[in-house]
Amino acid sequence: MTGTSLAALGIALLAAPALPGIAGRTKAMLTGRTGSPVWQLYRDLAKLMRKGAVYSTVSTWVFRLAPAVLLACVLVASLFVPLDGRTAIVRFDGDLVAFAYLLALGRFGLVLAALDTGSSFEGMGASRDVTYASFVEPALFLSFTGLALASDSLSLSGFLGEPLAAAWSRAAPSLVMIAGSLFVVLLAETSRVPFDDPATHLELTMIHEVAVLDHSGPDLAIILYAGALKLTLLAAVVIGVLIPRAGWSGAVSIAVLVGGLAMVGVAVGVIESVMARLRLTRVPQVLVAASALAAFGIILLLG
Amino acid sequence: MTLLFVGLGLILAGGVAAVAFRRSVPAGDVAFVLLVLSGSGVGLVPALRVLSGGPTVHVAFSGPIPGGAWVVGIDPLSAAFLLVVLGVGAIVAVYGVGYLADERGHRAVAAAHLGVAGLLVALALVVTARSAMLFLIAWELMSLIGLLLIVFEHERRPVRRAGLVYVAATHVGTLVLFILFAVWGRHAGGLTFDALAAGAERLPAAGALVLLLALVGFGVKAGLVPLHFWLPDAHAAAPSHVSALLSGIVIKMGIYGLLRVQSLAGTPPAWWGWTILTLGVASGIFGVIWALAQHDLKRLLAYHSVENIGIILMGMGLGALGLAYDRPAVAAIGYAGALLHTLNHALFKSLLFCGAGSVLRATGTREIDRLGGLARALPFTWVAFLIGAAAIVGLPPLNGFVSEWVVYQGLFQSALTEGPLRLAVFAAAGLALIGALALACFAKVAGVVFLGQPRREAPRGVTESGPWMTVPMAALAAACILIGVRPLIVLEPALRTATFLGDITGPLSGVGFAPLRDAAHWIGLMAVTVILVVALIYALQSWRRRHHAVDWAETWGCGYARPDSRMQYTGSSFAAPLLEACAPIAGVQTHRSAFALRTQAVDLVLDGVVLPSWRRLRVVAERLRPIQSGRLHSYLIYIVATVLALLVYLFAAGRP
Repeated sequence: MTGTSLAALGIALLAAPALPGIAGRTKAMLTGRTGSPVWQLYRDLAKLMRKGAVYSTVSTWVFRLAPAVLLACVLVASLFVPLDGRTAIVRFDGDLVAFAYLLALGRFGLVLAALDTGSSFEGMGASRDVTYASFVEPALFLSFTGLALASDSLSLSGFLGEPLAAAWSRAAPSLVMIAGSLFVVLLAETSRVPFDDPATHLELTMIHEVAVLDHSGPDLAIILYAGALKLTLLAAVVIGVLIPRAGWSGAVSIAVLVGGLAMVGVAVGVIESVMARLRLTRVPQVLVAASALAAFGIILLLG
Repeated sequence: MTLLFVGLGLILAGGVAAVAFRRSVPAGDVAFVLLVLSGSGVGLVPALRVLSGGPTVHVAFSGPIPGGAWVVGIDPLSAAFLLVVLGVGAIVAVYGVGYLADERGHRAVAAAHLGVAGLLVALALVVTARSAMLFLIAWELMSLIGLLLIVFEHERRPVRRAGLVYVAATHVGTLVLFILFAVWGRHAGGLTFDALAAGAERLPAAGALVLLLALVGFGVKAGLVPLHFWLPDAHAAAPSHVSALLSGIVIKMGIYGLLRVQSLAGTPPAWWGWTILTLGVASGIFGVIWALAQHDLKRLLAYHSVENIGIILMGMGLGALGLAYDRPAVAAIGYAGALLHTLNHALFKSLLFCGAGSVLRATGTREIDRLGGLARALPFTWVAFLIGAAAIVGLPPLNGFVSEWVVYQGLFQSALTEGPLRLAVFAAAGLALIGALALACFAKVAGVVFLGQPRREAPRGVTESGPWMTVPMAALAAACILIGVRPLIVLEPALRTATFLGDITGPLSGVGFAPLRDAAHWIGLMAVTVILVVALIYALQSWRRRHHAVDWAETWGCGYARPDSRMQYTGSSFAAPLLEACAPIAGVQTHRSAFALRTQAVDLVLDGVVLPSWRRLRVVAERLRPIQSGRLHSYLIYIVATVLALLVYLFAAGRP
């Protein structure tokens, strides 16, 4: 743990809600609208935190525990991510597995909460959520494997930084493929276009949105915040792969993080403006393609 | 060593007491429980001593017994499996007392308790036998008692069919094991395991035949794909506590056998490691996809055993590869992962089958799509089942995560080596897929069975199980949590056993695991942190709820005013998108009509291959039937003809 990594974590925790805002604003500008301000999610969160909550009479403690599980998982997972591009708060061999499985635990909680309401819409959302996650997970692990091979390390902190900077000079094509695969994982994992559309208004076409349909008030605020933080963490990993910050000063590293996060937000917004959502049956094919991309990256590294 | 025999004697005495006092209702049960618990406690003492680094022990009985001396011994491998057999087995036996309490009067409950006690003794003998003959006797005893327990509800036709398939499959396996030990014993010149190990170099073709025979013989018992076909039916048909024993412990004997044969046969060849690893990935992926397609709660859990055997095999395969390519660190981590997952699977699968048993006892059905909303009626069973479900999916902060994490560690370690071993890293993607599919599957089970509203009126009042059932479930759940938050208590013995298995000596066993130990420490810390942070956030939320307006309303139906519990998402619809994506291998038959859709899960191996070939075999057998005329003189002619044929053969072979 270093002072820089603590500062980076603090910035990530504070800046997370701005990321969906940047994406939304980019999309609005590209489609010729003014759109809501970048800070909209902060306002939404503040408003939701002040509100009371409505619970379904069908729901049990599972429904109320799930947001806590989700937030706790994303928060603990954030300790493993080298947000400043060099080292995380906590690092150990195999922390990448812990990172991936913590996100899975959060998803398990949300899916059970959706089923807890007994709503068929939420059941549908939950079902689609776990379906896509099943195809995302191999892509995520293949990307991590590629990074492990490139950096000769078994922890997220070891992936980035100096060994990666050295790897860029000898295995740039592999790293580009892996970064591409990771970016697809980011879009799918955080329910963005082309896998899911956060702006859709019809329950039947929603995936993540419909799975949290019954949550309200502070519970919904927690879910929205955890989603934004998850986006930030994955974005930080992608930035770390693309811009290895070996031997850079702490302030520059953090500046790169902030700039990079904004760029990812813009990229997500651009994709949302230029692409329609994929047909549901096409989604697994795209995710398998992302796995294949990462696998090719690994094969190049092994060769 | 004596303590083990005393313990086994006590367990057997418990079974006998259950039969002897079957008329006096509480006394018989109490005697059974006390004797089985104390017996397993006593029997575990030598096992724990060996696991904590004590010397291995053995005792030989020689004399005029067939097959040479009978040797019984405890080394770290035996001790690790004894822990599973006696530790988990005794807890499940207690659950069985509560589970069968309602059946008293119409079925042979006391005999079932005796059977369970006998099964535990047979299992303990399987893992401690050090000579082939004793091993085979214990093996056969285990298989036959298993059959008697599976057909407990023998008046039902599917149960009898499951028993028949089970006994056919298990005997094919045993036959192969007889061939295995006969071939090996002939080359080694003795049937004790020491003699077999000493003669391993003299085996032809580097022991390839022996390894392949072991793969089939033990593979049938372990239920690896494609030899799993007997498993789902048998485990679903048995009473739930027997299902827990079969899935949690008995199939692990296949794993034990494979590990034992491999450790006796010396450094394994690389192809063996690759075979095991590939079979592991295949079992894992097929097992979980087939599980997802099931409509029957217990069949679904049974297919998950196939999946978890796959994960164990991945660890084993990695261990063998590490030895073959001379990477002791990879080997030790792979074996440690396999052993840990064996223990963990025994814990959470028993817990899940016990939970399923409570559901079955309370509702009378195993059909997932007929259940729903049981979390309110069975609050304790729900929590226990949820812990088991999260553990089997491999989620932190529970034990399943610990062992899957160790397997991942081994796979990633292999990536950092040189040569072909690096290719093993692709199995990590397989394990990730297995984990994600298992999450989908248990979200389906837990969500559809326990959450939402009941899908139909329960035939009788659904009530929570009594303490005979809840206390054992609590013990299993507590073990799952304990290993999750303190991984080192099981990782240390697992590493010790792994180094014993791979015969790894030298500095590695001391210093080489420091990063793994360090990381396991962090895993435990992470588990505690997650639990504490969840508790903190939940407490804050609860506090806030008390001070802010909370309304209760119907679930938002998107404007529909007349919601109905039958409109809820079913397990079938929940699994449909995934099964569609995996259609060619999912084995789902879809029947469509104008107004209804019905899906049926078929086993691609049992219904697709085994039963059709069996029917063809029967046609051929019918042709041979006239031979069995039932007339004495024709049988005498057969005997004379056979002897003549043998004589001709001997003369032709030049040995008059």
